[in-house]
Amino acid sequence: MRAYKSQKIQVYTTLTILTLVVMFPIYYTFVMATLNSAQSYSYPPRFIPSSHLLENMKEAWRNAGMGRLMFNSAFSATIVAVAKICFSILAAFAFTYFGNFKGKYLFFGLILITHMLPLPVRLLPTYDMMKTFGWVNTYYALTVPFFASATGTLLFRQLFLTVPTSLADAARIDGAGPLRFLWHILVPLSKTNMGALFLIEFNYIWNEYLWPLIITTTKEMRVVQIGIKILLASEAQAADWNIIMAGTIMAMLPPLIMLLIFQKTFMEGFSMKEEK
Amino acid sequence: MNTKFPNRFMPYFLLLPSITVILIFFLIPTIRSIYQSFFRVSPFGDRRIFVGFGNFSRLFTSSAYVNSLVRTLIFAGSVVVIGLVFCVIVAALLNQRLRGMSIYRTFFIWTYAISPAIAGTVWALMFNPATGPVVYLIRLLTARTMNWMNDSNLALAIVIIAAVWKMMGYNVIFYLAGLQTVPDELLEAASIDGANGIKRFFKVTLPLLSPTTFFLLIMNMLYAFFEVFGLIDIMTKGGPGNATEILVYKLYRDGFIAIDIGFASAQSVVLFVFVTILTILQFKYTQQKVFYG
Amino acid sequence: MKRLILVVLFMTVLSLIVPAKTTITLWHAMSGANLTALEAIVKDFNASQSEVEVVPVFTGTYAETLTKAIAAFRNNTHPHIVQVYEVGLQTMLDSGAIVPVFELAEPGFDWGDIVVPILNYYSVDGKLYSMPFNSSTAILYYNKDIFQKAGLDPNKPPTTFDEVFEYGKKIVESKAALGGIAFGWPAWVFEQMHALHAQFYANNENGRKAKASEVYFNKDFGVKVFSEWIRWAQSGVLVYGGREYNANNAFLAGQVAMLIQSTSSVGSIESKASFKVGTTFLPRIPGYPKGNSVIGGATLWVMKGKSKEEYKAVWEFLKFVAKPEVSQKWHKSTGYFPTSNSALKGLLDEGWFSVRPNHLTAFLQILSGINRPESQGVRLGNFVAIRDVVDSAFEKALQYKGPDIEKTAKAILDDAAKQCNQILKDYISLYGK
Repeated sequence: MRAYKSQKIQVYTTLTILTLVVMFPIYYTFVMATLNSAQSYSYPPRFIPSSHLLENMKEAWRNAGMGRLMFNSAFSATIVAVAKICFSILAAFAFTYFGNFKGKYLFFGLILITHMLPLPVRLLPTYDMMKTFGWVNTYYALTVPFFASATGTLLFRQLFLTVPTSLADAARIDGAGPLRFLWHILVPLSKTNMGALFLIEFNYIWNEYLWPLIITTTKEMRVVQIGIKILLASEAQAADWNIIMAGTIMAMLPPLIMLLIFQKTFMEGFSMKEEK
Repeated sequence: MNTKFPNRFMPYFLLLPSITVILIFFLIPTIRSIYQSFFRVSPFGDRRIFVGFGNFSRLFTSSAYVNSLVRTLIFAGSVVVIGLVFCVIVAALLNQRLRGMSIYRTFFIWTYAISPAIAGTVWALMFNPATGPVVYLIRLLTARTMNWMNDSNLALAIVIIAAVWKMMGYNVIFYLAGLQTVPDELLEAASIDGANGIKRFFKVTLPLLSPTTFFLLIMNMLYAFFEVFGLIDIMTKGGPGNATEILVYKLYRDGFIAIDIGFASAQSVVLFVFVTILTILQFKYTQQKVFYG
Repeated sequence: MKRLILVVLFMTVLSLIVPAKTTITLWHAMSGANLTALEAIVKDFNASQSEVEVVPVFTGTYAETLTKAIAAFRNNTHPHIVQVYEVGLQTMLDSGAIVPVFELAEPGFDWGDIVVPILNYYSVDGKLYSMPFNSSTAILYYNKDIFQKAGLDPNKPPTTFDEVFEYGKKIVESKAALGGIAFGWPAWVFEQMHALHAQFYANNENGRKAKASEVYFNKDFGVKVFSEWIRWAQSGVLVYGGREYNANNAFLAGQVAMLIQSTSSVGSIESKASFKVGTTFLPRIPGYPKGNSVIGGATLWVMKGKSKEEYKAVWEFLKFVAKPEVSQKWHKSTGYFPTSNSALKGLLDEGWFSVRPNHLTAFLQILSGINRPESQGVRLGNFVAIRDVVDSAFEKALQYKGPDIEKTAKAILDDAAKQCNQILKDYISLYGK
């Protein structure tokens, strides 16, 4: 029993030290966001918060036009997450409940191939395509190219494969069409998966950087991540780190809050994703 | 196989949305990338010359590109190894049945929610040569001045630290999930037995986690190859002296700053080959493992 | 319901009577105090009349702004006006995407009022292609307080490379500051050094007689300059602060005593510094002929493909920017040169420079130099990429810790030159000689 206790203390100590180390950057970010301009340049650096958080937030909000940026990010992230869920649930349904229709494996392969083609591999032509569609600086460009999801399709396919066949049989005997079966039986069963996928994809789009960097050029269409870059660049002559960090905090809050609130859903979704 | 519905056209109809998106935004652009890699194109796109494999031969004779390749391998290798070793230890500690673990868990997984660009901003401040707190603390403790702007190894090191930190949340989440599959009795035994427990961690837990480890290996590779773009762009812009210019950053530089479209397309093709290898490996070793995209 | 119809009707009529404003987009790369100053000018312009509304958009660094404009032109989402730095000159001239300002201008506009070196820089065959806006050159800033602390005379800044080294060493050894000197825009400073010592940077008279096909910076002079810089770095005098403006942070935090930077930072530095700021000419290496420092900064380019009306509006704005009082205001808040002689004269009459001597340094430097083909500024194809190569070379050189300084400098520059010559060759293969 004593050995157990000392073991416990060891675990706690190690974890506490590690926590301090990995949390330090976040703590310092917060401290910086509370300083005024002179304090932010003081040397040695200050490690204790000051009282200017609100005015820095306001300044960053005004300077980078944060309101619009947050809206753009949240809007496109939501659209993409919802579309991905719909598209992949339909695709997964097609793969699991219609036997071996012609071209099934080709299509399955096509969906998997999206993994092999990350954006940089097709960056320039995709950009040119946006120009052909006249989509530069539009929400279409920020959302539509992301609609297909191999992750989602596989996730739902795995789930559907575990659904007892008796359910589908019953539905068929009752004369229910496939879409009704999907809507009334499968969709309710998929709620946890949908939640987890939503969080993952929302986070993914909120944090996307390269694509919005090249596809948006107007203030109206910029997203949060680019806002941070612009904030940094526009302070280039003499960086106001306090303002930049206030902006940074704003940009990282929404996904963070989501993660904290839905931590359990996240973990469940992930463990499903991983186990299969 | 599940019951099947008899509808003949329904599956095509259901697949239509996904396949359309994939064709238009994945397949066609990729083919065009390959096509463009055989040309030299002027910045404004008004002139183009067919150069055959010229862009490719230039790639592998260019010291800048070879350097970028080497840097990418060092970077990706370090991110994967350091990240996985650190995170499996953290996850093992967090998996103890002790009070307050859920709070600790939160601290370690939340970097998942932070974007590479923001991680870059935060760490750029930490290591700012003029006023960065880490630079200050190190000077206080060792009397050494640290300026990554004139030290390529240091620059690479801090970019690796930032990248590992950002990916920590993701790795810990997956390791924790993986640990749930390890039978409780084994873990409890491990935690009670002290030194013996560490041994069992290596003998019992780690082998059981190997599917997770392999999955994370691939994911971290992809991350280190592609997603760290924002982090690099904000922290170092590939400098100093191309020390942190990984392949994806060089591609952006050549394609969107120097606007050498053919040359950049050739780089896209090389990246494509890399991912293909990674994907084949993945499918070979983990039959149906789902991954993030 | 009736009310609603009335309102709608009223609005329709109103929109017919009040002419819609012509909106002009301006992409720019102004940061810090310069961003505020630019926005103020645009605001003044918008308030000064009711037909045209100029919308400024900050698009990142100069390189990003240029390349975004090019990409945008290809998909027809380009702005009316784009601010392009001197590096983009050749690219813009060859682009076929621009309307030269001399074509846009109303007949009889007095171009003669524009300061000669600026006019020359952006003219081809005596015709001006883009509107001078923010012109600058590099100068040496120094922290007088640190000089004092190190036992140096705060009114005697260094004038030669040797002095910079000597003072820097004193500063480091006396612990008055962590480092002696930092640079912004290293490749540009390297170009400045060539012009200042009357050395060509590339063939065909710096690419002004015909397109350059070979760079000269790996010759003796370039190697000499690089070797000196490596030596400074090895003894801790030169502390690298990053490309562009990053080095300003180290200077403002009092960690380096001197800074070679564009005059455009005068405004930002003076407003942020908590110490006395001095400025002086760029240091020279004795024994080389005298040239002049080169014009940097950016001009406003007008892009093709817009309507006649819009071009009229664009010209109204450009005319406004060229006004002496606007130019003076711009100069005062940023440190960029006023672009016209009348603006300059106004500043002199007003006694501005005796109050703010740091705003004068760049002028005196330009005026005291000797203008010759070598100092007229470099024009290269795909200069953006070349700058990048040279910046990287500089960063590599500074990391060298061994004793073979000259040999290393030569090797690094040779490698950079090889890459640059390839870039020039590619450019010529696309656009001809």
